[in-house]
Amino acid sequence: MIINRNKLYALLFTACIAGYIWLFFNMNDNTTDSNLVVGCLIKKTTNMPCPSCGTTRSVIHLINGNLNSAFMINPFGFLIAAILLISPVWIAYDVATKKETLLSCYKKTEYYIRQPKYGIPLLLIVIFNWIWNIAKGL
Amino acid sequence: MDLQKVDMFIMSNSKFFESHHLNVIREQLIALDDSKWVMVSTVQLKDPTTMLIISILAGSFGIDRFMVGDTGLGVGKLLTCGGFGIWAIIDWFLIQGVTREKNMQKMQLLIG
Repeated sequence: MIINRNKLYALLFTACIAGYIWLFFNMNDNTTDSNLVVGCLIKKTTNMPCPSCGTTRSVIHLINGNLNSAFMINPFGFLIAAILLISPVWIAYDVATKKETLLSCYKKTEYYIRQPKYGIPLLLIVIFNWIWNIAKGL
Repeated sequence: MDLQKVDMFIMSNSKFFESHHLNVIREQLIALDDSKWVMVSTVQLKDPTTMLIISILAGSFGIDRFMVGDTGLGVGKLLTCGGFGIWAIIDWFLIQGVTREKNMQKMQLLIG
């Protein structure tokens, strides 16, 4: 897929909406490890948590103000919460002013992640988080 | 370029591209200088079938997207457990087409 401005913004916006809907249902349910059909394929098939299992619970803890327990469940929750909060505003700003600051930021991030000196530490963080998740038994 | 070489290239590499790309590539190759043949014949392309296997096995981690070069989307897939599992399933059907498009892009950088 060749990513362009409108495609990226539509994708990100849809993802944000889906994220908010997902959060809304999980907040009302209170059974955060839901038995819905959708969810982590890895966990459903192997019963082993993946690197990002527990982010929903983490974000819900963040909303309730429990920073510490949010971090203990899954630190990725902070990242997801930041993306969920910032990206709709950023998209709205870009669409309103007809700029493409988000697209250039996205491309710059992609460029940096592709370089081994940034990519490998990030990969190690993900793997470490995965091991931690398995150890915690999320 | 030599017509025989071009047709050989097309025949042995047709699975890497969408069918509507092949004609374009063929015409470009015929117009290309003969000295570029070594470069063209040794270009490394991604196999759509391999990508499909990777997508089925490790799609939830976004590995397939990382491998075809959509790093940003790969990160998105990794952080959301493959888009709540839905995106991972959708990608089983999309990834082969994406791989072929990426191969075409690479080819265009080389000969376009």
